Amino acid sequence: MKNKLKKVFAFVLFCSVLPVEAQTREIDLSGVWRFQTDVMDFRRGSLSPRYNHLLPDSIVLPGITDDYRIGYKVPYIYPDRLTRKYEYMGPAWYQRDIKIPETWKGKRIFLYFERTHWLSSVYVDTKEASRIDYISVPHSHDLTGFVTPGGMHRITVCIDNRFRYDTHKWNHAHSEFTQINWNGILGEIKLFALDPVYIDDLQLYPDITRRAVKIKMAVKNYTGKPVSGNALFTVAGKEYRSQKSIAVNGNDSVVFVEDVMPLGSRVRCWDEFNPDIYTLTCRLDTRAGETVCRHEKSADFGMREVKQGKNHIWLNNHPVHLRGTVENAVFPKTGYAPVCDAEWERIMLLMKTYGLNHMRFHSWCPPRAAFRMADKHGIYLEVEMPMWGKDAEPDEARYDFFRREIKAILKEYGNHPSFVLYCNGNEITGDFDFIEELTAAGRTLDSRHLYSGSTARKRVRSDQYFISQQTRKGPVKVYEGLPSTCWDRNKESNEDVPVISHEAGQRCMYPDFGEIGKYAGSLVEPRNLEAYRDMLAQNGMAGQAHDFFRASGALTVIEYKAVIEALLRTSASAGFQLLSLNDFPGQGYAPVSILDSFWDSKGLVTPGKFREFCAPEVALLRYGKSAYFQDETFTGQAEMYRFGASVLKNAKIKWRVADDSGKTVRKGNLKTGTIGNYGVFPVGGFSFDLKGIPAPQKLTVHLSVDNRIMNSWNIWVYPRNETLPVSTGEVLYTPVYDEKARQQLEAGKTVVLFLSPGKVKGRKSVFPNHFWNPVMFAWPPMTLGCLIHEEEPVFADFVTSYHTDWQWWDILNHAKVIEMQDGPRALRPFIQVIDAFDSNRKLGIGFEARVNGGKLLVLAVDTEKNMNDRPATKQLLKSIDRYVKSDRFHPQTEADESFIRSFLKN
Amino acid sequence: MNYLYSLFLLPLLPLSGATAQEIRLTETARSEQVYADSVTCEELLSFNELGVESGYVLYRAAIEINRAEPVLELENVRDYAAVYLDDRLQGTVTATNKKQPLSAAPGKYMLSLYAENIGRITYGPEISDNSKGLFGRILLDGKEIGNWTILPLNVPACNVKQLLFREEAAGGLPSFHRGHFRLEAPCDTHLDVSGWGMGEVWVNGVYVGSYWDEEQLQSLPVPAGILLKGTNELVVFDLKSRSCPTMRLCDAPVFN
Repeated sequence: MKNKLKKVFAFVLFCSVLPVEAQTREIDLSGVWRFQTDVMDFRRGSLSPRYNHLLPDSIVLPGITDDYRIGYKVPYIYPDRLTRKYEYMGPAWYQRDIKIPETWKGKRIFLYFERTHWLSSVYVDTKEASRIDYISVPHSHDLTGFVTPGGMHRITVCIDNRFRYDTHKWNHAHSEFTQINWNGILGEIKLFALDPVYIDDLQLYPDITRRAVKIKMAVKNYTGKPVSGNALFTVAGKEYRSQKSIAVNGNDSVVFVEDVMPLGSRVRCWDEFNPDIYTLTCRLDTRAGETVCRHEKSADFGMREVKQGKNHIWLNNHPVHLRGTVENAVFPKTGYAPVCDAEWERIMLLMKTYGLNHMRFHSWCPPRAAFRMADKHGIYLEVEMPMWGKDAEPDEARYDFFRREIKAILKEYGNHPSFVLYCNGNEITGDFDFIEELTAAGRTLDSRHLYSGSTARKRVRSDQYFISQQTRKGPVKVYEGLPSTCWDRNKESNEDVPVISHEAGQRCMYPDFGEIGKYAGSLVEPRNLEAYRDMLAQNGMAGQAHDFFRASGALTVIEYKAVIEALLRTSASAGFQLLSLNDFPGQGYAPVSILDSFWDSKGLVTPGKFREFCAPEVALLRYGKSAYFQDETFTGQAEMYRFGASVLKNAKIKWRVADDSGKTVRKGNLKTGTIGNYGVFPVGGFSFDLKGIPAPQKLTVHLSVDNRIMNSWNIWVYPRNETLPVSTGEVLYTPVYDEKARQQLEAGKTVVLFLSPGKVKGRKSVFPNHFWNPVMFAWPPMTLGCLIHEEEPVFADFVTSYHTDWQWWDILNHAKVIEMQDGPRALRPFIQVIDAFDSNRKLGIGFEARVNGGKLLVLAVDTEKNMNDRPATKQLLKSIDRYVKSDRFHPQTEADESFIRSFLKN
Repeated sequence: MNYLYSLFLLPLLPLSGATAQEIRLTETARSEQVYADSVTCEELLSFNELGVESGYVLYRAAIEINRAEPVLELENVRDYAAVYLDDRLQGTVTATNKKQPLSAAPGKYMLSLYAENIGRITYGPEISDNSKGLFGRILLDGKEIGNWTILPLNVPACNVKQLLFREEAAGGLPSFHRGHFRLEAPCDTHLDVSGWGMGEVWVNGVYVGSYWDEEQLQSLPVPAGILLKGTNELVVFDLKSRSCPTMRLCDAPVFN
């Protein structure tokens, strides 16, 4: 703890007594606080509070204990997450001496923490004054009656970050997997005073039909006398201002005020395209007997109405389609979610940059800054409680916590127009009568949002939408693409409530070890990444780490284009939630994203390219396959996904086909016309024959609408290659490694071993890279795509990049992955399969070596089944044939015959 | 006049809308018609090993019961299975309830377990093994059962139009049930499946979804687009056999 603390210690004496202006209504308490840990949890029950003694250490707030190296110094390497350098879970005490202004006499006095967890308790001098245990909302402690205006008080706060209830430890509100279960206080920390008649709650219900806002206020009256006065409402926005004054009267301790304020025709609706925000300020002037009170309270709101449509969420009387990402409180730099606008603004702008309009907060509710910035930039939020898995199994204490938490979330953030959807939590199991109770309660309390019981589990009566990987009509998940685009999930999505596809994508790439350096200065260390990196080095492939990252990352981008387009073709769904736009460093380690854990680009795809397939308007193409013979015809049906601001009139739609050099080889126009809005619209088909196009070649089919909306797809064209490779005196093709093959090698000649997958020990070969991450889901074959050594002459007549693309589909689906770790260390298979990063073994499908004095090439791919439907495989064989029969075939690495036998089945 | 008018309308009312119309499913088709290729195996194979992503798999083995009330104990149930001795339902087992007492006198029987995969687990410590169906060992009074015949059912992918139905009660084992209903004006409606066990539904040959009595939601939406003016056909596959079963059309979703 110590260096940083020494520096701040000098301020302690200065700051412990604050000079306060006479009229100040608010005292900022950020800065140095005295501090003491309480690992044994004994202080609260000891005699210490009675002695009111000074705490010996100090800390700066806002902040968390990790920043001051407080707690247990972690000596371990956690394999399933980033490792916190220092862990602290237990009560910790924070203390400050504060002079309460004389002018606060007769006022209500509160101590406010914007964000802390789990339990905060406040002691004034020797007495405990207040306890609060919300997770998702600020803790506002009422200290009236415990403090004396004009007097000095010793305020001692206990923050206890132990789990108050038996809730799921993976909840992202406090998970060690992402943001940690920190101990501290974040955001605004202040003491403030209010007159005894004040606005406790201000809720604004926009009415877009009447162009009005309904105002619901709860006014607290602590005078014990009848109160009367008026409320002056001012609504201000861009080029807008209006006012209304109403009388406020009441006799009770709480006076409820309800009024409708017409806003006129100049007020604008809020949505993703026009996120116009208004601020309503209420100035309440009242008199109760001799007491004159004033209070001003403001809330931001937007003119928007959300409704449950048949298949879509409707906003302002039209359907929206949610293009979302799942946000899991991944903030490894700080260990906590930011509470400031700047950080959230960066994230919301990145969402826009990548064509998204929706963010799901998975099992947590963010601080207000996230709502504020989503309001500002037009992002539709789905918010959850810290609830997951068995959290709905009967447990009254836990149930009561959730009953309070949902109400608190709705009260605190309900005005924000970006708060469109509420869901209790993630993949819940337990008593769904309780889930229904919560969901129904939410709907009764606050009609400004749509409600859902649980993601991806059981349905309840009050569901207004459903986020799931499957409905009763079948799967609505899309985790991976296909070489064809003639499919969607429309039938499966057509349920009785709008359906959102749950946690789409999740294609794991190899980590970029270059990220390790980015953790410098962070409170977590990527010790798991370092261990994975070292393991790769031990296995002799240290130099390949970056190539593994590039190749598997490129495949993830290819998959996400296919996944997102399939979800856009699914016009009958309410949208999708990608998992995710940024990496997830827990639950193992899930580098599934185009942005890293810090929301920085990995350089795999530009935002512009990403927006071609993920944006409010996207050109789509349905076609049957990606690999063609030269004598075939390509046929495609063009569609426009449009959830834009308006219809598109006189749209000019062009298609063209470019060859590998970018030169146009075929082109045409589709019928000009008006394209509707809020759906997926067929805009015509086209076809072209591939005759005369030099093959093999990669072609790109481009579609453009008004030269503004563009998208493209790669296809491959191949010659028929009627004959398969045949043996010559010099080159022996064989499906078995037998005596004849041995002799051929011993004669210094060439053997090509085309191995049927069934004859090879090893792993199943698949096209997609692993789902989510191999540490959490240890499902075979645990591979992350392939690194293709494209520069090697074996590929001279096969068109490929360094990564796999859809032309590899049929090759990889007819292959077997050979375990090569125990073979020659220098050996590099030309089709190199990338192993899971927690295993890092050398794997391959094709390689060459010198064996027994001869030249051997091995390809573990079926070369017999349905060859007339497998143009790419045929071409690969052709390329191999030319290569092994040329003078370029000189395998460099010597392999022992025992290695060859090691992967052959008898 | 009013009286006469009502009399005239009365017989037409049940046909005019979908509201609360009861559909009797009097015809049955045996599930053998949708068996995929069988696999015989000494040990159980999971859905994953069978290459079955979702749906139903029937695991059958000939057993001999030597004492009254023996207990069947399954090592892994993912996620649900109906247990039959010959054609008598003994009960259902789940991932958390894997023991089933058998009510049968000593003798030789055909044990049939119809397993269903409700969905993949997507999180949690238990996910490292994501196998589905039945795997591991199944014990009868502590003795392992072997020599299994494993039959994936082509449900819900099958074409129900091609099934052969007979006007008779189901023979006990899981089967398809068919009934007809008339509509004057097709509109979006809901099919109330409450009272049924676990199964799949088709209307006019179009698959409309699955149901399970453990869910709160006990109705399936039926879009107007697949309904016909006049006679419509309802086909249901259920894991529990039923005699003269019914379903109902209704205006709103039905929750337990």
